[in-house]
Amino acid sequence: MVASLARRFGDLDLAEEAAAEAFATAVERWRADGVPPSPGGWLTTTANRKAIDRIRREDKRAGKHQEARLLYDHDPPEPAGAIEDDRLRLIFICCHPALGVDTRVALTLRLVGGLTVPEIARAFLVQEKAMEKRITRAKDKIRTARIPYRVPSAEDLPGRVSGVLAVLFLIFNEGYLATGPGTDPVRHDLTAEAIRLTRLIRALMPDDGEVAGLLALMLLTEARRTARVSAAGELVTLDEQDRGSWDAALIAEGHRLVRERLAAGVAPGRYQILAAISAVHTSARDVRDTDWSQVVALYNQLITLDPSPVIALNRAIAVAELDGPEVALAVIDRLGPRLDGYHAFHAARAGLLRRLGRGQQSRAAYGRAIELAGNTAEIAALTRRRDQLG
Amino acid sequence: MQYLMSVIDDGTGPATPVEDAAIDVFNDRLQTEGYWVFAGGLGGPDAATLIDNRGEQAIVTDGPFLESKEYLAGFWIIEAADLDVALKLATEGSRACNRKVEVRPFL
Repeated sequence: MVASLARRFGDLDLAEEAAAEAFATAVERWRADGVPPSPGGWLTTTANRKAIDRIRREDKRAGKHQEARLLYDHDPPEPAGAIEDDRLRLIFICCHPALGVDTRVALTLRLVGGLTVPEIARAFLVQEKAMEKRITRAKDKIRTARIPYRVPSAEDLPGRVSGVLAVLFLIFNEGYLATGPGTDPVRHDLTAEAIRLTRLIRALMPDDGEVAGLLALMLLTEARRTARVSAAGELVTLDEQDRGSWDAALIAEGHRLVRERLAAGVAPGRYQILAAISAVHTSARDVRDTDWSQVVALYNQLITLDPSPVIALNRAIAVAELDGPEVALAVIDRLGPRLDGYHAFHAARAGLLRRLGRGQQSRAAYGRAIELAGNTAEIAALTRRRDQLG
Repeated sequence: MQYLMSVIDDGTGPATPVEDAAIDVFNDRLQTEGYWVFAGGLGGPDAATLIDNRGEQAIVTDGPFLESKEYLAGFWIIEAADLDVALKLATEGSRACNRKVEVRPFL
């Protein structure tokens, strides 16, 4: 509803406030009078009226012209396609490249996800007032700089979609491996929201390979959520997870999407490859059944697209299963200069050093990892492993 | 709607002949396609004079208002329907003059 109001009135702020007022009124009225026969229509009409009232109050000068256009603009009820187009436009404006990444995440969660400001602030460890300001500034910029409310042109679309997917992936990752001592280590509300929004994009762009890939990746990752934190509050790594507790339905859907993309015969993008790697892992009933050569082959493909040191690290961890810990350690050590500030780098080194029987060095590496890690469950698990070294 | 596209120089100095030529081509495009309002190159910070007449007496200072490595070297004022259009033009402009370009809307 916010989306169609934004289209009609060309003002995100106004749309959001009118929608909120309409909902608030609905809660009062419907409690007393009962739910009307067409709740959606009631809400839309009420929100439109509230938006018009606001414009009247705030804009006396140009008011007459605008009012006339609004009052006599009798839009018929939106056909389904137009509503979806509005939601798509809303997502693209929230994820516009002229807005900083943190701002895009906050705006998307607020306007598309409908999360409250306190909820978003908590998710990203920011004070409520600061988050409020971030969102207000963004809306001000959208208005003052005239960031357009539309689906990007065909030539701009690939770049802009990739921006949207990056925001959704950030939201998912924050939910899957939440940072901060005060938060739950795995936040289902955020991962669920990220999946919901990605499904929305997929419904709006059913032919886009990377959208399908990201959805598959999220589903296959989310499927393992309950196995991920032990009763003792420690993060459980893939090799130690109880695979029986994985969500079979999410895995089935994820696999279906991965197969669909393979059949499409189009060169896969990053998310599709990451999803395929997840699919290999989730296909194995037991960790010992994992097809590691497939995993490494996929990482080899991924690294040509994205030669980031983090990908190289994850590839090396898989290489350890094929070529042994010594070979993998050599690869990982070369990444040292670039990944020294990354806890997972030290955790990986620690694990390999332990397997090679180099206890003292392993201990030191675990220590570094613990210092750098931000997730409570992960810190607990790393601490236990270090202490087990004796 | 009008936008100011400011060319930021980080101490590189005046445009090279290659840059000048590219800027000319860009300016022609802006004019032909109806985006052009105004544009110009500016004398460097050494040529600037600062006036502060907020108090009892006007104070005149030799030099720019801000001592910094980066400074405004020139600008375009364009007419564009929205920020997407302005950013596309600024992208070309930044390449043409080989400098960073800041895009700001007029109120």
